[in-house]
Amino acid sequence: MSVLRLFIFLSLSTALVPCAQSVTLPAWLRLLKPMSRAGAPRAALKRVSVSDFTGGTGESALRGLVKELTQAREFTLTSESPDFTISGSSVGGRVTGRVVNREGEKLLDRTYAAPGLDENLKAFADDLIFAVTGKPGLATSRIAFVSDKSGTKQVYLCDPDGKDLQQVTHHTYGCVSPSLNADGSAVAYTSYKTGFPVVQVLDLGLGWERTVSDTPGSSFGSAFSPDGNRLAVVMSFLGNPEIFVIDLTTNSAACISDTTGVPGSPSWHPDGKQVIFSDDRGDGPRLYVTEVSETNEAEAKRIRWRTGYGFCADPEFSPEADSVAFTARIGSELAVVVKGWPNGSSRVIQSGGAAHPSWSPNGRYLCYTQHGTLYVQNLYTGQKQAILNGHGQITEPRWMK
Amino acid sequence: MLGALPACKSLPSLSREKEAEVVFALGPRDGFTSPLSGALKPACPALEFAGEKFALTGAHKKTLAVVVADWSKDKPRYLIAGYSQPGLPDDFARSLSERRAQAVRQYLIESGVEAANMQTVGYGFDSSPTSSVVVIYRQ
Repeated sequence: MSVLRLFIFLSLSTALVPCAQSVTLPAWLRLLKPMSRAGAPRAALKRVSVSDFTGGTGESALRGLVKELTQAREFTLTSESPDFTISGSSVGGRVTGRVVNREGEKLLDRTYAAPGLDENLKAFADDLIFAVTGKPGLATSRIAFVSDKSGTKQVYLCDPDGKDLQQVTHHTYGCVSPSLNADGSAVAYTSYKTGFPVVQVLDLGLGWERTVSDTPGSSFGSAFSPDGNRLAVVMSFLGNPEIFVIDLTTNSAACISDTTGVPGSPSWHPDGKQVIFSDDRGDGPRLYVTEVSETNEAEAKRIRWRTGYGFCADPEFSPEADSVAFTARIGSELAVVVKGWPNGSSRVIQSGGAAHPSWSPNGRYLCYTQHGTLYVQNLYTGQKQAILNGHGQITEPRWMK
Repeated sequence: MLGALPACKSLPSLSREKEAEVVFALGPRDGFTSPLSGALKPACPALEFAGEKFALTGAHKKTLAVVVADWSKDKPRYLIAGYSQPGLPDDFARSLSERRAQAVRQYLIESGVEAANMQTVGYGFDSSPTSSVVVIYRQ
């Protein structure tokens, strides 16, 4: 009977394989297919019209806004039958912006009164991109990274285009492994200020620094949860490194891994209920996913996520949780790979020493480092841009979510 | 052939490191000096590790016999610091160097050194020496 089942299975398999192959496009036609991270064709871009801005700095505001929106490439800027119309005014650098849809419904009407015109325009650009597309804009987003330009490894911030560079830590022995919270108001990192690795959180608005974990052994690899209230970190005070979740509101910690190996680089699922991390249990670092229990009594499930690579580290979920980017070792060199979550094919985004990928808030770009240079790569077009070069050895970029 | 299969259960795994039966938690770090803040004297030659291995070899244990003998004299405290070579993912390097330091500490505990007299730290390649070694600093 079992032989008969096996025969039927093999017959069906051989019958289905040619069907699957028959829909595969020839190589020349595949170039015409729109490239998409998820494999689905991209939706047509919305048509947006920008009308005149009134006020003393209205003309500058209009130019700046068009520049921001052109760089964002989230919609087509045209005055012919627009789906949305943008209007506003600007006086003394303040910006008031409005977005109206085709039916005349007002989607956004807000005034931005930060000290600089550019700052206000970026905030307005992000708000209107969110109002039109439902996805976050990148104008106000920030990338945290580590650079040894000052002689020691310190944490820096910059815009997605590499501008507005800012050194945020100045500790004697350096700071590494940064993570920005969702709104970019705080950065967590590993500081060597006492000579030992401790995890600290710096409030970028107020400037105060708080030590979150100063336990025996080492503490590193911090990652903010999507709600910003928890921090996933690696601590080793138990006698071996484990992944912990620290509740920043109560200063309590819970261990979420169960390993005697080498766990590291935890990262949160966008739903805040799972953490993905790498763990080397003696056969190279692989990726594991564990649930984060809301109560102590609940038992957490842990699974090993098979990627097809024997050396995987620095995993990070895409904002839509349909893919995971990670560092793999291919041959003797590191490479950035994206694989569909929970199932899907793998795609090498950049080989030749590329490492530590991090998704943009809209999931369209990845930032990573390669030979000390910070790159941003468009996942739809494959276009790669070095946004920061010659700023020391840059490592561990992390894009604000 | 089939009769031999059950015997496979008793074979050791080739790919995994041997796990310790009891893992000892670290005590307070107060009073320990970091190698970053001052020159410390190593208690023995640096222990070199190959690749991404973190299990101790016979050569490591032979070197550590010097530390065990040294401890029995005046019971000093040790800081066991792990380092790694560049070219690995940064966070993995930190965890790996910490894990190697913990493996050394575990062996020293099993050899009779007091657990409270030892602290571990993993620097990855954030600090020199940037090579795959564990250095035991006498405090």
